[in-house]
Amino acid sequence: MTETDGSPPSRRARLELLVRRDADEGFDVREIGSATAFVQSRPQRVVPESWELAEMPSRMAGQPSYILKNTVTDRFLLLAEPEKFLWEQMDGQTSLQEIATAYVLRYGAFDFDIIPVLMRKLQRAQLLTLTPTSRLRQALARNRRRRVVKAIETGFTALERINISSRNVQRAFTAAYRWGGFLLFTPAGVIACLLVAVAGMVAGVKLWREGGDIVAGFGGHALQGLITVKILFFLTVAAHQIVHGLALIHYRRRVREFGFTFLHGFVPTFYVDVTDIFMTSRRARVVTAISGAGVHLVLGSAWFLVALWAPLGSFTQAFAAASGIIQWQAFVIALYPFCFIEMDGYHVLVDVLGTPTLKQEAISWAGGLVRRGASRRMGRQEALFAFYVVVSTISVAAFVAFNVMLIVHARS
Amino acid sequence: MPSPTETVAFLRQVRLFKDIAEPELATLAQSLRERPLRRGQVLLREGDVGEEMFIVLRGSLVISKPVTGRVEQVLARAGPGDFFGEMSLFDRAPRSATIQADSDAILLALDREAMRRLTEVSPRAAAAFFHALVQVFIERLRASGDLVAEVTRWGLEATGLDLDSR
Repeated sequence: MTETDGSPPSRRARLELLVRRDADEGFDVREIGSATAFVQSRPQRVVPESWELAEMPSRMAGQPSYILKNTVTDRFLLLAEPEKFLWEQMDGQTSLQEIATAYVLRYGAFDFDIIPVLMRKLQRAQLLTLTPTSRLRQALARNRRRRVVKAIETGFTALERINISSRNVQRAFTAAYRWGGFLLFTPAGVIACLLVAVAGMVAGVKLWREGGDIVAGFGGHALQGLITVKILFFLTVAAHQIVHGLALIHYRRRVREFGFTFLHGFVPTFYVDVTDIFMTSRRARVVTAISGAGVHLVLGSAWFLVALWAPLGSFTQAFAAASGIIQWQAFVIALYPFCFIEMDGYHVLVDVLGTPTLKQEAISWAGGLVRRGASRRMGRQEALFAFYVVVSTISVAAFVAFNVMLIVHARS
Repeated sequence: MPSPTETVAFLRQVRLFKDIAEPELATLAQSLRERPLRRGQVLLREGDVGEEMFIVLRGSLVISKPVTGRVEQVLARAGPGDFFGEMSLFDRAPRSATIQADSDAILLALDREAMRRLTEVSPRAAAAFFHALVQVFIERLRASGDLVAEVTRWGLEATGLDLDSR
């Protein structure tokens, strides 16, 4: 650890931290590199009352420039358009890693120096504060004395630690692609999938007309049946992620990681790192996003066909029909961009709109509207935010209502 | 449990006792109290009151300082022959760090009373002990300075904080 010759150290600094476990007396010792902490930090600009941003008219053709002023210190900064974009991401919620991803989505390339250089400029102008952890976790930590809060925090912490993943998956995905995965990306493969989808849709319509008889196949255990269907569905999420990975191989990009974790500490999910696709064309990004969701369309259709051929009112028919519904729901949710969840369809939408942080900005705008009233002028961007928030809210409500209706229908 | 001869042989390898003559060391060994620890068990916490220092006979321990919530910064690790808690032999201030076992461990505890007896009975042995202790203090002080510098560098790198151009 000692550097005695006065020259700058060549390696990044590391901290050893001891983290106590709640469940027992034990602890874990973790070594955290400063580089890891840097990309996971969430830079936060100072409060809105402390800064002003104005577009600077330019006599030269090209991108506009912006003047960012610290109203407390009267210091000014000149920002280029990409820097203004980065400044807008620095909301204390978004990590540097996510900001860099948003930048690539917006500009199609990444300048490795732009973020550190901008942060230095902002710090010098006292326009930036830094918060290291999420607000939810901070709030939980503050109220840890309450037993319920402590239990929630302990649960989140325990779940967050569960991460089964590998970064050495490129070879496996390449092999899977070579041994048949490539078929999914051929015209014949796409047509086959569409034919199954159409057949499944026809089967689904027929089944819908016989809905009462179908769910009767669960007997008196409709709820247990649906839970089993959900668990089985969860396993197919892995297939969804694998197809995303195969799409990367198709476009000769690298699959950096594949694994299982609890998103935000409570959402169990499989995941695949597809960030390398950002370095290629928009078409490749769209195909990658849609191909994963296609898994649910094909599986849902297959389940509907099974349900159609199964004996009427049998358990098999009920199980297959319920599985088909849930797979199709997953397909719609994955591709439907207006639901406050950043799924495949959302990524396609923001890619097309060139607004990588649409959700965050829209929610922030709506929050401001609630706090300060509707006096602010509605431009095109505000209209987009309003549309996103309203349609997403209605969609989520409709989705919940639909599922409640299904369960009530099944139980009755 | 080690025999008195084994304990003396072990103490001979500990830096603090290497210059103490055999008879005094044998007497001192008799006043040491054995303290077993299970893996993960906390020996003492920052703020606790104590009047004894510990020498690691077997196993390894982690010395840490609470930072926030359940997170603590690791200050040092202690293995066989290492010692800690010596500050409480001289002052009555609360413990300055938390110490827990990283593996099953056995410690030897030396309390203030035993130290006082050594000073009375054999000032020469006590002088050797204190001389070695001061040398260790100096090394630890230097290591603390290095640790502060390393932690500061970590903070600057992790936050991207730029001070060069201010």
